[in-house]
Amino acid sequence: MRSYFSDFPKTALQASYWLFVIYLLLPLALMMAISFKDANFVAFPIDKWTLKWYAQVLQDKQFLEACLYSIFIAVMTTLFATIIGVWIALLISAEGIMARSVIFALACLPAVVPGLINAISLRIFIRVLDIPTGTGAIILGHTVHAVPFVVIMVLTRLRSMPNNLVDAARDLGADSFVAFMRVTLPYLVPALAGGMVFCVLTSIDDFVRTFFLGGYQTTLPMLIFAKVQGGMSPEINAMATLVLIVTAAIGLYAEHFTRRSRM
Amino acid sequence: MQPVVHFRNVNKSYGSSLAVDNLDLAIEPGQFVTLLGPSGCGKSTTLRMLGGFETPTSGEIFLDGQEISKLPPNKRNVNIVFQDYALFPHLNVRRNVAFGLELKGMASDAIHKRTMELLSLVKLTDFAERMPGQLSGGQRQRVALMRALAPNPNVLLLDEPLSALDAKLRQQMQIELKSIQKTTGKTFIFVTHDQEEALTMSDVVVVMNAGRIEQMGDPHTLYAKPRSRFVANFIGETNFIEGRLKAIDGGLAAIEWNGSVVHANLNGQSPSVGNTVAAALRPEAISVLSQKPSNTIAVSGRITQSIFKGDHTSLTISLNNGQSVVAQLDPVALSAVTGDDVWLTWRENDAVVLAD
Repeated sequence: MRSYFSDFPKTALQASYWLFVIYLLLPLALMMAISFKDANFVAFPIDKWTLKWYAQVLQDKQFLEACLYSIFIAVMTTLFATIIGVWIALLISAEGIMARSVIFALACLPAVVPGLINAISLRIFIRVLDIPTGTGAIILGHTVHAVPFVVIMVLTRLRSMPNNLVDAARDLGADSFVAFMRVTLPYLVPALAGGMVFCVLTSIDDFVRTFFLGGYQTTLPMLIFAKVQGGMSPEINAMATLVLIVTAAIGLYAEHFTRRSRM
Repeated sequence: MQPVVHFRNVNKSYGSSLAVDNLDLAIEPGQFVTLLGPSGCGKSTTLRMLGGFETPTSGEIFLDGQEISKLPPNKRNVNIVFQDYALFPHLNVRRNVAFGLELKGMASDAIHKRTMELLSLVKLTDFAERMPGQLSGGQRQRVALMRALAPNPNVLLLDEPLSALDAKLRQQMQIELKSIQKTTGKTFIFVTHDQEEALTMSDVVVVMNAGRIEQMGDPHTLYAKPRSRFVANFIGETNFIEGRLKAIDGGLAAIEWNGSVVHANLNGQSPSVGNTVAAALRPEAISVLSQKPSNTIAVSGRITQSIFKGDHTSLTISLNNGQSVVAQLDPVALSAVTGDDVWLTWRENDAVVLAD
């Protein structure tokens, strides 16, 4: 391996890395540890351990409903964002498209516009159009935010696709639709999987847009926010730990999958 | 016999540049035809127009008597073997070969039977379930070939399919391709810039340059009787004899060259006496003598370089007029060494007059 900064003490580089890791992981570890604490308040040290908070969370109807609601929104967001994202990526990579870079920049804008600005503008927008806040508005907001990630992933994959794969399919008797379904789409699978996981994770994680666009039903982040407002308790730690484990598992699995199927 | 493929006055231009210039080409069924030429000569464009990936700017293309120049690729009974194979990376070998058959709506057991038959033809039955990424270059080549043959096309098009293989494998594939063409009896149209490849496999070679056909014929004729300087240069090594045409006598041209009058076959040309003409002379047609022969015309020169190439020795001989001539000789029989003064002779018909 090449060594940059060869005159720089190696231990200093290593030390700064480990400092970063501790800074990243210690708060998470603390949060997880306290979720096992047998007391009604969040503090150290932990003298008695328990699983009762988990039992309580898993029986908490509010929590389970919020989970289901968040998952529903995430699935719908992923569905719409994937269709729109693939469509835009195909448009951008098509031959003879004018102003390709403008289309790309516009499609990617939602990824860099601050969430708060995005949320407020969407809120005003739906007010103007008389669309009620609630599920539809949330999905709309999440989709706008998720599309750029799908576009970028699919475009990257499309650029690595040999030109003549589609030609070969056409040559063997496929019309352009069949060629897309049987050759282009399967080729895009790793990018689609990555993009979809990204959509799910950003949607489940989103607080700001949901806050401005939501109705009476609470999503998971909204519920946790409300509970924190009512005072910290190890129950919140247990909830957060569950969310952390599930999302980390999905993320890491997706990363592993896209890496393996890279051809 | 009706030609299986017929280009009639086909032009293809990109903006102001003409890629194919008034092409007229008829191909007989069952032949191995090679389009040979340097890059940019229009050979690939010609192939892509036949495959349906380019539309002619003007002119007509007939396949089995039917005009097809406006049909999309999926409506033409021709298949292409692409330069980098274009195997579908997400399908295994068997599914790749079956692709065209599935689209034809063939029954699945019939598809399986034909696929395995084709794979056994190239000894790849054991690799049927492998993914293309797990195959060697030569194996991918064979899969691509069988995938293109599977739908039973009238004509198989091959777009420089051997260029990615190493020299040894390429030679082996040339022989294999030729034998598959013979077994299947199909018309193969093969595009290459490699003259050796063209000579090895083809029944007919079409030499193209700047969008036009320079010459078309069987490999032996092209080699022995090139019509133009371009063809003579592109196929094999050639010496040029250039000089004033002194006389025409019984199918032979008498050309003033290097202080002598030498003879060359007229090669179907009719140059005017007194004009400058050029003739081509292959290096292996030249004999090198240490003494001036009494019974035949000879040209004198001095050996300036001698390179041993195994099966032959390549001599560079400098003539009195300053021109260098290359001769190929049998190393065993050769006694002359660098610096020797020698006499060159050849059979009159081995030198051929060129059109330009």
